[in-house]
Amino acid sequence: MKILIVDDSEAFRKVMTELLVRVGFHEVVEAEAFDDALEVFKRERPKISFVDMILPGKNGVELTKAMVEIDPKAVVIAMSSIVNKKMIREAMETGAKDFLLKPTNEIALNSVMTMWSD
Amino acid sequence: MGLFSRKERPRKPGENALGITRKYNLTPGRAYVVEESPPDISFDAFVNIVSTTGEGGKKSVGLAVSRQHPDLIRQKYGLEETPLHWLATRAGPDVISPTNLGILTHTLIKFIEENPSGVILLDGIEYLVSNNDFNKVLRVIDQVNDHISQSRSIMIIPVDPRAFDSKELALLERNMEKIASEARAAGAR
Repeated sequence: MKILIVDDSEAFRKVMTELLVRVGFHEVVEAEAFDDALEVFKRERPKISFVDMILPGKNGVELTKAMVEIDPKAVVIAMSSIVNKKMIREAMETGAKDFLLKPTNEIALNSVMTMWSD
Repeated sequence: MGLFSRKERPRKPGENALGITRKYNLTPGRAYVVEESPPDISFDAFVNIVSTTGEGGKKSVGLAVSRQHPDLIRQKYGLEETPLHWLATRAGPDVISPTNLGILTHTLIKFIEENPSGVILLDGIEYLVSNNDFNKVLRVIDQVNDHISQSRSIMIIPVDPRAFDSKELALLERNMEKIASEARAAGAR
């Protein structure tokens, strides 16, 4: 099962990839901003995409919307370094299925993956 | 509304559910300590629990006590209905003086009695300890923890490990579970 991580921080993508591998998910692809994320998304068709809500240029909400338009079954998990209910609600309204705090941790990631990987 | 203006309105019991996954599988009737600074995982867990439904579709009502001002917490985390208490030396509604441990204990125990499946976030232990003898603060935590153990409530206490020596940390964590080391933050922005 392919997983996409969209974040402009290379360090974060690396750590997130390591965490995903640790919880049993090995097929991870990465992108750092809106345009290349959409390109990777169209090409790789990941089942789950972790999208940082704050991206350079067009933000994560717009990316979520675009991904869900391309594939209505896409599972987009919004990520942010701020836990804010209004922001989470906005992401969910545009098609995100869940939310993950950044920096993330194995417990939270495992719960989210258990929920959406089947 | 300004950040520090106080316009209270009647609050509904509990936050509106967000439809996200219940991420931290915390056991009812237990207290948890999270070694971290800033208290990101603790707030993530607290906001997550009060904004999701647990087993049987039940919502949990929360109560937070923090050194951070309630308006700041509401703005930062988007909590709309959860009662928040400010640990501060100023007078005002929802303010608990750090030296008045009796009021703090009473507030927490009353919440547990009224909300047997509630969740408490007690943030600001370092501030309490700086205003009181460590053992007095420990007694408050133990006393509240006794009530937690006899209910289905959960208490989350973030602790900055740099603020305590190893003996104090061991005493703090003696009757509580640690949110496991795998919860340690990975990758900062």
